[in-house]
Amino acid sequence: MKQMKADVIVVAAGLSGLAASIAAAENGAQVLAFEKAGTTGGAANMGMGPLGIGSRIQREQMISLTPGEAFRKHMYFTHYRVDARMVRDYYFKSGDTIDWLMEMGVEFVGVQRAFSAPEDTRAYSDGEFTWHVCRPEGGGIPGPRAATSMTKKMTERATELGVEFLFETPVSSIIMEDGKAVGVMAKTKAGEDVEARANSVIIATGGFGDNPKMIQEETGYEFGKTIFNFAIPGMKGDGLKMAWEAGAGKVPCSMELMYQLPDNMNHFILDGAFRQPCLWVNRNGERFMPEDQIGNTTFTGNAITAQPGSIAFSIFDSRLLKKYKKKGPDIVSHVHPHDLYDHFDEQWERDLADGYEPIAQADTIEELAEKAGIDVEGLKAQVEEYNELCDGGFDEIFEKDRRYMQPIAKAPFYCCRQNVGAYGSLGGVKINHKTQVLTQEAKVIPGLYCVGTDACNIFGDSYPFILSGNTMGFCLNSGRIAGENAAAELDEFEY
Amino acid sequence: MKIQIDGKEIEALEGESILDAALRAGIFIPHLCSHPDLEAKGGCRLCSVEIGGEEGAFPACKTKVREGMEVTVNGPVSSKVRKMAMELILATHPADCTGCPKYGKCELQSMYQYMGVSAERWRKKSRSVANDDSNPLISHLFTRCVRCGRCIRACQELRGVRVLDYIRTPAGIRAGVLEGKSLKDAGCRFCGACIEVCPTGSIMDQVKIMKEERSYAENIVPCRSTCPAHIDIPRYIRYIKAGEFGKATAVVREKVPFPETLGSICNHACENECKRNELNGAVSICKLKRAAAVNDSGMWKERTRKEAPTGKKAAVIGAGPSGLTAAYYLAKKGHDVTVFEKNEKAGGQCRYGIPSYRLPDELLDREIAVMLEAGFQLETQTAAPMPKELLEQGYDTVLVAIGTHQGTKLPMEGNDLPGVYVNADFLRNARHGTPLPVGEKVMVLGGGNVAYDCARTAVRLGAQEVHMACLESEAQMTSTPDEIEEGRQEGIILHPAHSFLRILGTDKVQGVEIQKIDKFYFDEDRRAVMELVEGSNQVIAVDHVIFAVGQKPEGTKQMELELTHGPYIRADENLRTSMEGVFAAGDVVTGTKSVIAAIAAGRRAAEQMDLYLGGDGDISEKLLEDETPSPYIGQAEGFAGLDRVEPGIKTAAERTKDFALVEQPFTCEQAQCEAGRCLQCDLRLQLHRPKLWNEY
Repeated sequence: MKQMKADVIVVAAGLSGLAASIAAAENGAQVLAFEKAGTTGGAANMGMGPLGIGSRIQREQMISLTPGEAFRKHMYFTHYRVDARMVRDYYFKSGDTIDWLMEMGVEFVGVQRAFSAPEDTRAYSDGEFTWHVCRPEGGGIPGPRAATSMTKKMTERATELGVEFLFETPVSSIIMEDGKAVGVMAKTKAGEDVEARANSVIIATGGFGDNPKMIQEETGYEFGKTIFNFAIPGMKGDGLKMAWEAGAGKVPCSMELMYQLPDNMNHFILDGAFRQPCLWVNRNGERFMPEDQIGNTTFTGNAITAQPGSIAFSIFDSRLLKKYKKKGPDIVSHVHPHDLYDHFDEQWERDLADGYEPIAQADTIEELAEKAGIDVEGLKAQVEEYNELCDGGFDEIFEKDRRYMQPIAKAPFYCCRQNVGAYGSLGGVKINHKTQVLTQEAKVIPGLYCVGTDACNIFGDSYPFILSGNTMGFCLNSGRIAGENAAAELDEFEY
Repeated sequence: MKIQIDGKEIEALEGESILDAALRAGIFIPHLCSHPDLEAKGGCRLCSVEIGGEEGAFPACKTKVREGMEVTVNGPVSSKVRKMAMELILATHPADCTGCPKYGKCELQSMYQYMGVSAERWRKKSRSVANDDSNPLISHLFTRCVRCGRCIRACQELRGVRVLDYIRTPAGIRAGVLEGKSLKDAGCRFCGACIEVCPTGSIMDQVKIMKEERSYAENIVPCRSTCPAHIDIPRYIRYIKAGEFGKATAVVREKVPFPETLGSICNHACENECKRNELNGAVSICKLKRAAAVNDSGMWKERTRKEAPTGKKAAVIGAGPSGLTAAYYLAKKGHDVTVFEKNEKAGGQCRYGIPSYRLPDELLDREIAVMLEAGFQLETQTAAPMPKELLEQGYDTVLVAIGTHQGTKLPMEGNDLPGVYVNADFLRNARHGTPLPVGEKVMVLGGGNVAYDCARTAVRLGAQEVHMACLESEAQMTSTPDEIEEGRQEGIILHPAHSFLRILGTDKVQGVEIQKIDKFYFDEDRRAVMELVEGSNQVIAVDHVIFAVGQKPEGTKQMELELTHGPYIRADENLRTSMEGVFAAGDVVTGTKSVIAAIAAGRRAAEQMDLYLGGDGDISEKLLEDETPSPYIGQAEGFAGLDRVEPGIKTAAERTKDFALVEQPFTCEQAQCEAGRCLQCDLRLQLHRPKLWNEY
């Protein structure tokens, strides 16, 4: 068995673990970071950028949102059911964290919002300009994976500060002595056991998005049936399990909901093409929300969850498709290509030929309903009613924006099933605003911290899309808070 | 010679490439198609560099160093080439990494982390190829192929197997198997080199092979990691294939002192994990060990450990596999060791629990005699004093390794009628030559290998009709399929998935009532739950009943040691008991397990006791020189179809006549042939993993 020693041990080197490692090392701690994968960055390598409030870039762009305002928005969004002090400390740190990243050489293309609400709901659901989108290494337009440039710079910074990374060396448990965390047990790729001891341990393993059993047990969703979440390989819930085993209290976990097509990245054109305010129905053929809100992926994910079978269907006709092709989509998203419909036919034909199961095309509504698995009579009645509303120019049911009241009339008709999706899991380990792990009775477990997605208990029941970049934002800032606290403890320890 | 890279002078070797020189000096140059174990091809262009005094960009992997060369990694031309090369790779590679099992271990992912991902200039064209899981062990997910050719070079040049090649498809060129053949038909040897060198997730170990609780290396060579003593199985099998039985035995003996015993009776958990199971049955690992042992040259004795006397005394109670193993290694560490054995002969469960038709006395005598050469005293027919007394008599440390020699009965009606035996008594008496009478008809209750030992012994003692009943279904039984089949040939009537209700009889056993089980499982509290089939009761008339439902230790209560689960000795992870200086190992701690587990525990005990006595705890032996096996395995006709070789075995009629050994060892030819079936999974671990940018 290999014996190791350090001041601070960080379990996993994803975004939160990197932030924790750098913060601890900057404050004089000697850091060991254990990582199950061969690279740093974890799930952040698929992302685009973090939240920040009050950053240099925002000030330059005259974005006046203050941390206090964001705090209040967040607390209203979550009905004060989450740790206000944690939220406060996070938002008040987040602007500085962006500057901190920029000093490491991380570049941002600017600040965006992930979602812009339609005019009539803007007062209570608009997204703020908080999302700092990373500039891809070597330039270019940011898209998924753009945040790799940030994880790269952070890795370089950590290495420069002397953080020692142990790759492909998963941690299996926390060593507890007299109720205090004093180190970890890990195993190298070659199977050698490692016992590493330190003054503090920071858990940062990123939740359990890749563990269907835990998803079922902790949240009730069935992976591949009622939920099609991103399953970043390796996100097995290791950190939650080892924290709970070490005596950590448990906070109910949730899934960070949105909606998407099964295997969506391989059908990305369709994923974008059907994400439009056309006609949306549930399995019974009935509309279930004003379609002009479907740009809000969180609320739409919630709404689909509540439908029979937790599924929905997005439907348009040939005339609408022709319009989209000519004028572009009604709702533009940041993540899908801008020239979606140029590639629609190619992808549609191929997917139809391959028998991609969520999609259907037909010349009559009956046939479409039958192929898609929607109640035939229900859909017929709904289309009839909807088309009448379109003729009348007003949506008496949901008051959807009249610009989008376009009938479903001209064959062929196109339909695509929409499933509940999620970015991963959220929360589970009870912590305080210093990110110290607490027992169920809210007693601090000395030496143990938990950060990032494993401990992201501040979102309540839904992702706060109004303040976008929040998942990465919490990872970065909670990690940084933990690293600073762990290093500060060391001073107390030494004096 | 000296060259300059980005103005920094480094030392380079004559004839090496710029890339190798840079990487060795700790300067990272992006690269994807080159691999430390493969010849460079210069295909991916990511390693493009500029050279002072020359125009254009050159692949660093294909360009040899020259004295005084001035290399620029990120010059305008080389950067442009590199960027375009990366864009073209990413343009055809799926954007979805989230579902890829290689996530986080992918070289391409690491490369785009380093270089960026913008591919907008090129139309995205994912060349989708259906995932192919139809081959054993290896998954092909060629949608992710970046055409670097590493797998092809590994298969063709490094291994000489020549199965993978570039193939043309309507969507373009990619790696694959020619003529759309299956891997088996194409002549694949399933060595896994292609998996090991693939930079992306295009060729992967099948998910079911990679168990989460094991490390990477343990998963790659599961036989070795599953063996409780971690015998280097692929290594000794390679020697057997080459006909070098002495070396093979030396490899086995580096970990265990009972090669022939284990080769005869080991429960070989390794074979359950053998990857060849996915093709056409495991390699016959256990029987190969026996073949090595019976053909041993004794060369291992030249290098065996023998340290100077330490003056410390150790006592071992019980001369079973764990006690003897511990004594053997302690003696090599220079300690003065005495083993106390209450039976007439040493061997423990190997002698008194396993019938001689599986493990003859001569074999055990021979192996124990060799062990005694290490220089320890063996006092048989000697009841050992209690551990405390031994310490008082001047022993510095004591090992309790008395095993589990007391058979147990289930609490049921009629279990104390005359004619009811327990496994341990029955087998021990048979071995002593004073067998218990079996009458005409016998019922053995139990379904493990001890139950078979009892039933087959009863057959050899002349019983006319032998039944076995057990709770487990045939698939769940812990006895091996071979055992079940041989038992069937010997006429044993098996009643699997039956509950035993009562033993009938007034003043002696007259029969057993059993009932069919519909479902048998353990609930959340690990309690056995049985659901019986109504009306399926039957009475089987027998003269004797033998309980073979487990054994427990005898005489531990008087030892003044802390016990657990009744009579078992509590020992911590370092095998220390509650009494200072007293250790315990083997079945008496763990409950009845295998001989190999007892041997592994004996080794652990020796290490810990040596540490306790002031030694360094190192009992490892290097009994032969390390030899690096050739990575070039070449082609082998019909490799995937090679059937498992079975040794000669007597007919049922012959073998039930007496207690003579049933099975012949492999002949040398058979052994070499069987050894040739090994996939040599361990060769993969010779390959180097390219260092990623974040490791420079």
